[in-house]
Amino acid sequence: MIYVLYSIVFVICIYTGRHYWFTLNRLFGFQRHPYIDIDTADWPPVTVLVAAHNEEKVIANILDALMTVKYPVDKMLVIPVNDRSTDRTREIVDKFVEDFPGRIQPFHRVGGKGGKAAALKDAMELVTTEVILIFDADYLPGTGLIKQLVAPFFDLEVGGVMGRVVPMNVGANLLTRLLDLERSGGYQVDQQARMNLRLVPQHGGTVAGVRLSALREIGGWNENSLTEDTDLTYRLLLNGWKTVYQNRSECYEEVPEVWPVRIRQIMRWAKGHNQAMATYGFRLLLGKHRATLRERIDGTLLLGVYAMAPITLVGWALALAVFYQGVAPLHGVIAVLSLTAYAALGNLAAFFEIAAAARLDGTRKRVALLPFLILGFAVSIFSVSRAAVSQLSDLVTGAEFHWDKTERFRKVL
Amino acid sequence: MNPFLAVAILVCTAGLLFVLPLLPALVELRRKSDALPLSVVQQNAGEIRHFANSFRDYIKDLEPIMQVCVAAGTSATGTLPDGEEYLVLGRLDEPLMRALAQRDATHPVVIAAGADLIAPPHSTFSRDIYAGGNFQGGEKNNYRAILGEKDVRLGASSRVMRWAHAVGEFTADLGCGLFGRISSDSLIRLHANCSFLRLNAPRIEVGHAVNREQGLPDSGFPSNAGVLPRFLHDGDFEVHAGQIIRSNMVIRGRLLLCSGARVCGSVKSLDDMVLEDDVSVEGSLIGARKLSIGPHCTIRGPVIAERELAIAAGTRCGAREHPTTVSAPSIEVEEGVLVFGTLWARERGLVVASP
Repeated sequence: MIYVLYSIVFVICIYTGRHYWFTLNRLFGFQRHPYIDIDTADWPPVTVLVAAHNEEKVIANILDALMTVKYPVDKMLVIPVNDRSTDRTREIVDKFVEDFPGRIQPFHRVGGKGGKAAALKDAMELVTTEVILIFDADYLPGTGLIKQLVAPFFDLEVGGVMGRVVPMNVGANLLTRLLDLERSGGYQVDQQARMNLRLVPQHGGTVAGVRLSALREIGGWNENSLTEDTDLTYRLLLNGWKTVYQNRSECYEEVPEVWPVRIRQIMRWAKGHNQAMATYGFRLLLGKHRATLRERIDGTLLLGVYAMAPITLVGWALALAVFYQGVAPLHGVIAVLSLTAYAALGNLAAFFEIAAAARLDGTRKRVALLPFLILGFAVSIFSVSRAAVSQLSDLVTGAEFHWDKTERFRKVL
Repeated sequence: MNPFLAVAILVCTAGLLFVLPLLPALVELRRKSDALPLSVVQQNAGEIRHFANSFRDYIKDLEPIMQVCVAAGTSATGTLPDGEEYLVLGRLDEPLMRALAQRDATHPVVIAAGADLIAPPHSTFSRDIYAGGNFQGGEKNNYRAILGEKDVRLGASSRVMRWAHAVGEFTADLGCGLFGRISSDSLIRLHANCSFLRLNAPRIEVGHAVNREQGLPDSGFPSNAGVLPRFLHDGDFEVHAGQIIRSNMVIRGRLLLCSGARVCGSVKSLDDMVLEDDVSVEGSLIGARKLSIGPHCTIRGPVIAERELAIAAGTRCGAREHPTTVSAPSIEVEEGVLVFGTLWARERGLVVASP
């Protein structure tokens, strides 16, 4: 038992070190933004896919925004992927098609498998351009965003591009404020540090792009994946394509305003991530492919982030069990130290990362909310662990995953 | 002490110590003093002419005064709504320029000229300048910003701190320092020893650029690089002299493109990349480290170096009908280089005299 605990502590230490490495790199290292300066070019034709399932509250906003972006009109086609909506999404999309002839081509999906990946896969029959951008319907792209996301595709090593997600409903309540801090840490520090260090920036599936030839080479969208973005990141990597992160390509999104929605969202992400870990983890680390050693290590650690929640819980339980059973050497001191090490260093690393992100963002007082992140982490650790258990149970019983759409909170216009 | 009281005090003290670090958080949660979304620039798409356009809007109030001054050949002074002092010049003659003619003078006023404007040498203009006609600057001047509705020419060793835009041609004589955004709707010409950061114009001539506007000879392959196959190579690679590569190239090592080599697609190298003379690339050229482009090369797509970029005389980037971006943290460009579009040095750009 004690050796299992040692192993867990070791893994936790690795993740802690990784947090510190990323944060220090972001604060003091060389920052890579190689494509952000491309403001003049012979811009390639681009297709913008807008994934929409019952999005009557938000779909008009994104279509409005896309119609005003600065990109050659004759080179950009918007395809709203209306996936089996039962609300007014179809009606709103069709009105836009009428108002902007030739610029929007709707894809109204009425049947088929559920989930974003399945919908995108079906919509690919309309796509002819080499560059594809993807947005969820609740996002609001700025006027320069399309060019910024297309620019990295001039690099023929790039198969996927990811922009930065910025919550727009920050002030709604404690949850949105915590999510704002988490997003800040995740993008401003984590993703950009991976970009700086030539590791594995993660494709987020929205405010993102993918190269058609790369997508075809890896077999298209994986409709069996619960998180098509993670799946895409790893298949691109295994096939010699890079995903790059553009920290300055920012786009507003709406974050969940109530805890049950947030819990469902993070549980889906956890299941998808774990699924990708089971599918690609071993091959990434030890298989024969073109990923570099540092990409192999970072990619594996990235795949394991959601597995860390149940592992940590097990670690806590083991530490207590070892202590109370008195089986630990040194009278349980090691068990106590293990627990303390996680509580102090592990937690501090994540807090440090988020505080650094807030500083880099130039925000001031919102960093005061940092202690409340314990609440967010507590909810996450149990939700993610629950997701892992439920995933294992589904594996045994053969139950199919039920796709939970993230609820929107914007007022209908 | 009563044990119950002791426990109660202990619990209260512990509770207080627990809540204490949360106090700033509770205050912020209640006051929401920093609860607005992160400021994301939604409308300004990094447009290089943004400041010039804003300044044009800013001085719109002065247009009637400028018209009167031009018609009457007079000048006027006053204060703009935000408290900035202005000087409006009606026409270019000696009396009107008297105020500006002192050597080593600093002029902390917004200057708007309805016609041509000549700035005396050895002067510092700490507010923006508007010229309704041509602008001609004396040598060793310092400018904050200049907007010229026709040509703008800076005298030798002058400096622009923020931005300059010319509707006509923009010329910087020997040794100018261009620290901000410089743009023109027709042409930018830089002479030797000029330093620069961000330039944008349909045509950027460095020194006396050779007129090489003719396109690449037809390769028989589609110009859309995306449809070409991708050649991926781990390790160093060399394209031999005169060799034609009919694919996109991704080299995970050093890359040498020898004289006269031709790539019909795009090129990426993860290490240093060297192009010898007369190399042509139909797509983009991306170097993860140092990129050195030899003389008389032709690059059609964007040129990006993540560390340093050197471009030798006679090289052309982009084309009139295919403007492009040339960017790196540090750029050295020899006289005789021609760029169509954007030339952007993040940290340091320098024009060096051709050997």
